[in-house]
Amino acid sequence: MTGTEEQAAVPLVRMTGISKSYPGVRALAEVDLTVRAGEVLALVGENGAGKSTLLKVLGGVVSPDAGQVEIAGEPVRLAGPRDSQRHGIAVIHQELTLAPDLSVAENVMVGREPRTRAGLVDRSAMASATRSALAELGVQVDPWTPVGRLSLARQQMVEVARALAQRARLIIMDEPTSALTEDEVDRLLATVRRLRDNGVAVVYVSHRMREIFEVADRITVMRDGQVTGVLPAAQTDPDDLVTRMVGREIDRLFGEHGRAGVGEVVLEVRGLRAGPRVRDVSFQVRAGEVVGMAGLVGSGRTETAKAVFGAEPITAGEVRLRGRPVRFRHPGLAIRAGLAYLSEDRKLTGLFLDQPVRSNIAVTVPRQVASRGWFQPRRERRLAERFRAALRIVCPGVDARVGGLSGGNQQKVALAKWLATEPAVLLLDEPTRGVDIGAKAEIYRIIRGLAAEGVGIVLISSELTEVLGMSDRIVVLCEGRTAGELAADEATEEGVVALATGVRARPADAAGEARS
Amino acid sequence: MTSTATAGSPPDNAIAPDEQREPWWRRALRARELGLLVVVAAIIVVLGLVTDNFVTVDNLVVMARQAALVVIIALGMTFVIATGGIDLSVGSVVALTSVATGYWVISADLPFAVAIPLAVATGLACGLVNGALILLTRVPPFIITLGMLGIARGVALGLTSGSTKTGFGAPFLALGQGSWLGIPIPVWVALVLAVLAHLVLTRTVLGRHVYFVGSNEPAAQLSGIRVDRVKLFVYAVAGTMAALSSLLETARLSVAQPSAGVGYELTAIGAVVIGGASLFGGSGSILGTVLGGTLLTLITNGLIALQVSAYWQQAVQGLVIIAAVTLNEWRSRRSPG
Repeated sequence: MTGTEEQAAVPLVRMTGISKSYPGVRALAEVDLTVRAGEVLALVGENGAGKSTLLKVLGGVVSPDAGQVEIAGEPVRLAGPRDSQRHGIAVIHQELTLAPDLSVAENVMVGREPRTRAGLVDRSAMASATRSALAELGVQVDPWTPVGRLSLARQQMVEVARALAQRARLIIMDEPTSALTEDEVDRLLATVRRLRDNGVAVVYVSHRMREIFEVADRITVMRDGQVTGVLPAAQTDPDDLVTRMVGREIDRLFGEHGRAGVGEVVLEVRGLRAGPRVRDVSFQVRAGEVVGMAGLVGSGRTETAKAVFGAEPITAGEVRLRGRPVRFRHPGLAIRAGLAYLSEDRKLTGLFLDQPVRSNIAVTVPRQVASRGWFQPRRERRLAERFRAALRIVCPGVDARVGGLSGGNQQKVALAKWLATEPAVLLLDEPTRGVDIGAKAEIYRIIRGLAAEGVGIVLISSELTEVLGMSDRIVVLCEGRTAGELAADEATEEGVVALATGVRARPADAAGEARS
Repeated sequence: MTSTATAGSPPDNAIAPDEQREPWWRRALRARELGLLVVVAAIIVVLGLVTDNFVTVDNLVVMARQAALVVIIALGMTFVIATGGIDLSVGSVVALTSVATGYWVISADLPFAVAIPLAVATGLACGLVNGALILLTRVPPFIITLGMLGIARGVALGLTSGSTKTGFGAPFLALGQGSWLGIPIPVWVALVLAVLAHLVLTRTVLGRHVYFVGSNEPAAQLSGIRVDRVKLFVYAVAGTMAALSSLLETARLSVAQPSAGVGYELTAIGAVVIGGASLFGGSGSILGTVLGGTLLTLITNGLIALQVSAYWQQAVQGLVIIAAVTLNEWRSRRSPG
């Protein structure tokens, strides 16, 4: 259908018949991929579909078993990241690769620092080159600011600027928005369009439909190491894509709402103040209820959860767990009292990636897998197998290292370790970040199941659709304060955003009622 | 790349019985310690063939005695390295303990039942100070224990003005020089401590927490593990082990000296990493450490048996450490998670 275009110009990148196998897994099976200059190609598929491997081939990190890569019509060999860079390919990973202590300019110009005649680094030339690269993106940052001081969104812009300074013709963005707020996402998407209009080709990997349809010209769908569709964005819709991604239709992603708020209050937080970010947070959670916690990044949601959980000191306010006032000095005490906290970044603060699945699940319940202080491997194995079956964790075995599992399965392991504690209240911080849509649906189902069993759930999420779809009630934080509360049936995206951005303030009525 | 987690995939609860538990011999074959064991055995066989004074009862006993002293310190180091830390002070703790032992056993003439616990407590105290400073200051262990390396040795030298002390009685000397059932006492001690350390690390809740802390400290904290207690514990173990080794060595050499233990920290770290531990934490086994310490001792002795000048020993040890760790890296890269 795009034959005329293809004849008109040689594609910037043409990959043909790319195959790659690992022991036991066929990661890529004769995959073809074409990217043209000045287009945004969205690459979608579940985790494990082969997107990352394919992009690693382009990045020179993985050498394929078979197949050919042509750049601007010339066959090339990408034996290492340097080869890819030389051919104008830049990869912006999910995990940023900047040096946080070095300045923006040093990061942008790394490896190509301009020199003065004496052979020293020409700082003023560096600064101006950096400024112009950033200006191209519509970002204003002092080139000498240490990168670590910038927000995540700005850091990402620095990565893009570095790619531009490297004269990249193809920029690969691997889930660039997974840690951004909606606002920042919009700005990033604007940048992507700008890049495209300047003739850069962009491969955009994301799980988020909204972004894909806002920015992509064409969409390549992958499943099980194969391409299952190459479509102009205008000729498809989210449902169609999901069907191609998972090979079946996912309906009712978020499942049925339970009997909301029928239980008694299990967690009550009043006037919580902790650290610099949490100033005055109040909310309550009933048994069997899913309470969404929305807010911008930096609004204090994570810090609130951590303070309640005993991982950050509380300076003022009251926390009641099942009616009893509590203030935990340490997460261990919170766990024993029936609280659980799924942290937002499973790789940094959630999982022990080099340890087996079984240890990762049992870590929170040493007493369950020990007898008189002696560790019982059989009990740990039994516990792990139970959750592997219950949560359908796909892994070679419970002895397999967690680091080798796909994102969705990693997240299930992270969840399992908290379910093992049989909590009364479960605080979930971005439970589906970086997880494919199939695993997402499963995690939602698990959350629903827990609520039905009477667990009180706090769902912190930056994805509004998720908060709206899952929650019985939504608490919105703005700059460390409870900005308002919305019931599921009255909540809209606009309503949440208005509270989160402080456009509209509303007293926290539910919390206010509870106080009287 | 692993398989996907689609909601449509078949339920994964069909577990074959043999999948639940691998037979012990297959697990043993896969263990990274096996390669090390083969290397150790090969060195003994080769040296036995090319020299005629290496594989003799006398020489093996001498080597075992030396290896035991190295291994005991390395046991403690295994705990520390498994948490992702390091203890550079163990050599100096050996010196301080040696001096303290000389004082309490000879000068103060305390009964054994008092003097020996006091000597061990010296090492324990050094370890606790290390741990407490690491927790309170948040300064990296490398720096804190580097400081302790200077302090412990400096105190040992200062208290004695650099002088050595002799005149231990025969019962004390038997600790280092005696044998039971033909096997030197230090070897027995090392054996008991190694078994104990192995049990603690693999079979107790506290021991397993050591690995969790080393694998991912923030995650360990959020999982309810008392990271501070675990850290205090491992440095206390390292100090105690250094003190025990010092007692045995002081008895073996019949002299309490502030110059004891120079460079032992490096040998101990070498033994632990040869044994397969990562300096980033989260791994390390007692069996590996025992074999690593044995390997280093074997090499030193082998060079003597081969009549290589003693001055070359360190260079060869260094090469062995690099080679062993490189091999480990290759192996672990070849067999992904």
